[in-house]
Amino acid sequence: MAREVPDALHTHPRSEQPSVVRAFGVLVVQSFQRHWRIRQMGWVALGLLALIVFWVALVTQRNGWNLAERRVRRTTGTYQQEALRLLPTHRYWAATGDEEFITPPRPYEIPNPLQPTEEAFRSLILSIPYAVLQSDQFLYSWSFMTYSRWVMHLVFLGFALPLFTLSYASGAFGSDRESRVLIWLMTRPIPRSGIYLAKFLGTLPWCLLWAMGGFVAIGYAGGAPGREALSRYWPAALMATLAFASLFHLMGAIFRRPVVVGLVYVFFFEAVVAALPGSLKLLSLTFYARSLMYNEAAEAGYPVELLPAMTEAVSSPTAWAVLTLAIVGLNGFGMWLFARWEYRDDT
Amino acid sequence: MTVEQRIPRGPAGNLQLLGEPNASAAQSVAPPQRATLEPPLLLFEHVSKWYGPVLALNQVTLELTGGITGLVGANGAGKSTLLRMANGQIQPTMGRVTIRGVEAWDWRARRLVGYCPDVDAFYEDLSGRRFVWTMARLCGYTRREATRRTEAVLERVGMAHRAERKLRGYSKGMRQRIKLAQALLHDPELLILDEPLSGIDPIGRQELLELFQSLAVQGKCLLISSHELEALEKLTNHVVIMARGRIAAVGTLPQIRDLLDDYPLSVRIDVPQPREVAQLLLNLPDVLAVDVAPPLPHESPETLVVKATHPKRFYQQFGQLVVQHGLNIRRFEPLDESAHAILGYLLGGSGKT
Repeated sequence: MAREVPDALHTHPRSEQPSVVRAFGVLVVQSFQRHWRIRQMGWVALGLLALIVFWVALVTQRNGWNLAERRVRRTTGTYQQEALRLLPTHRYWAATGDEEFITPPRPYEIPNPLQPTEEAFRSLILSIPYAVLQSDQFLYSWSFMTYSRWVMHLVFLGFALPLFTLSYASGAFGSDRESRVLIWLMTRPIPRSGIYLAKFLGTLPWCLLWAMGGFVAIGYAGGAPGREALSRYWPAALMATLAFASLFHLMGAIFRRPVVVGLVYVFFFEAVVAALPGSLKLLSLTFYARSLMYNEAAEAGYPVELLPAMTEAVSSPTAWAVLTLAIVGLNGFGMWLFARWEYRDDT
Repeated sequence: MTVEQRIPRGPAGNLQLLGEPNASAAQSVAPPQRATLEPPLLLFEHVSKWYGPVLALNQVTLELTGGITGLVGANGAGKSTLLRMANGQIQPTMGRVTIRGVEAWDWRARRLVGYCPDVDAFYEDLSGRRFVWTMARLCGYTRREATRRTEAVLERVGMAHRAERKLRGYSKGMRQRIKLAQALLHDPELLILDEPLSGIDPIGRQELLELFQSLAVQGKCLLISSHELEALEKLTNHVVIMARGRIAAVGTLPQIRDLLDDYPLSVRIDVPQPREVAQLLLNLPDVLAVDVAPPLPHESPETLVVKATHPKRFYQQFGQLVVQHGLNIRRFEPLDESAHAILGYLLGGSGKT
């Protein structure tokens, strides 16, 4: 050994000079490639996505988003059956014993032909549910809002999207710190803030792929309301993905066990605290994404009263501003912090 | 005991010891042209580092301009902190660390520094060649240049024909070589090597020592931390000895030994007439004791072990004595000028690090 390699490292044509911009680009690509292998959290996210898609597809297949096909209570029939039962014809059939009903008629449902005016009013009022259920627009609006409430607001924004982004964004630094290979990046002639940003940009495609891919899969599994949700809610889903990716990337740079911290954040803060009444929810990222969805549905004329948790939604410009500020602010803060942070135990 | 904390060095890398610890005006005797033209390669100026309540480095002042410097000290002495600080991985709480005038924490300083860490962790699913190539790309080189440099450094560390395997299958020695290869990629002026000989077999160790020497001959400055004192002694006798966050001593081993006045020098002398010579030695003012040891089997002369204070003065007096009495000295060997012995004196105990 100790062979002389004369001038092998000394010739520097101008084009062969090292470039920090090139190094930054290489780090973005390297960071992307490092996530190629699906890790444990990736499998967890995949399993979760499969479960959600299966559930949504099952409900869709059973026409579960449609009000007419839903049961009023476990022991009663569907809304369609109940509305039908309240029609004058069926009430009279029930009174004469020509038709059997699942539940016995309530006192006010029993026809009283001896008081024709009162009976006429009663029949009119009790016919309203049936008339309403004949409106395709109402039924579709109800389906869309039900789908939005349970699938998009609760399941997707509540924990699926945060978990998808957590599984990759937290690993950008987390896996490097855990396997103690961060030193190889920290010894390269790249500004530290650039390392932070490059790792984020390299990880972002994976976060987008999972979160938006999951969004599309869940949307298509939801049938017509799901497809409409895709076209209306994608900006909110995109902004939420970017914001969560920024947050979990920062957690990866700060905490030694970012996945644990991230899970606590998702299930405690985003899922519970953000649902509480009061102003604490203003600190939740999903609140702003939900506000965007809420406003989008309201502008399209959907009955947003069906989203009772969102009555305090902020306006769309406010939600856009806050989410944009969160993305820029979290990354800016991360770059600032990373440029000053000493990774004593990891390097 | 603290001796000196500044290491101005000549062009060939010969370390010079300047003075006593409290010599506030530690002056540089680096070559004038270097001193005037550009700042020192590595400079620690009154650097302290606190980890919470623990003081890891205490007012360290150190200057390196070339050659090979060994960094030794017990565990927890502050070696790793010093190396990481020189490499810009941690910042001083007080004081300043610069590489050619640029703050070591600044990313631009890393263009001048190659770091071979003690950490034995890699991207295990990459081959050695791919890893080094990736590191070259992360230095900002084009694909072609990165390939050229990768092949050059792999050849240099003796891994050119073994670099295709995945890193997870490498022996400790091969991993050390790959670490060294990535440190050499950008042809840095300063190489910081943390335990580079750890886990390497004797043949590989000799090869690496030769490589380090050839790098020093090329004008590189090497700062090597190692527990392998024997190997370090073969490489250089210029050392920085650290103890409890301070630089306990800096200089060549004999220079440091000379300053250890509190510890008598032990010298073995083989002579045909030991008792007569012992009598003469005892008349010297700096000789504290003389032991006459029986000759070993198959060795004719008997052996004297002399304990003396003030080594330099003793050597002069002994030389005069030899000339004056025409003594037939068969062997003259200082017994405690080894790094081990000096460390033992400085750090207490056996000198084990």
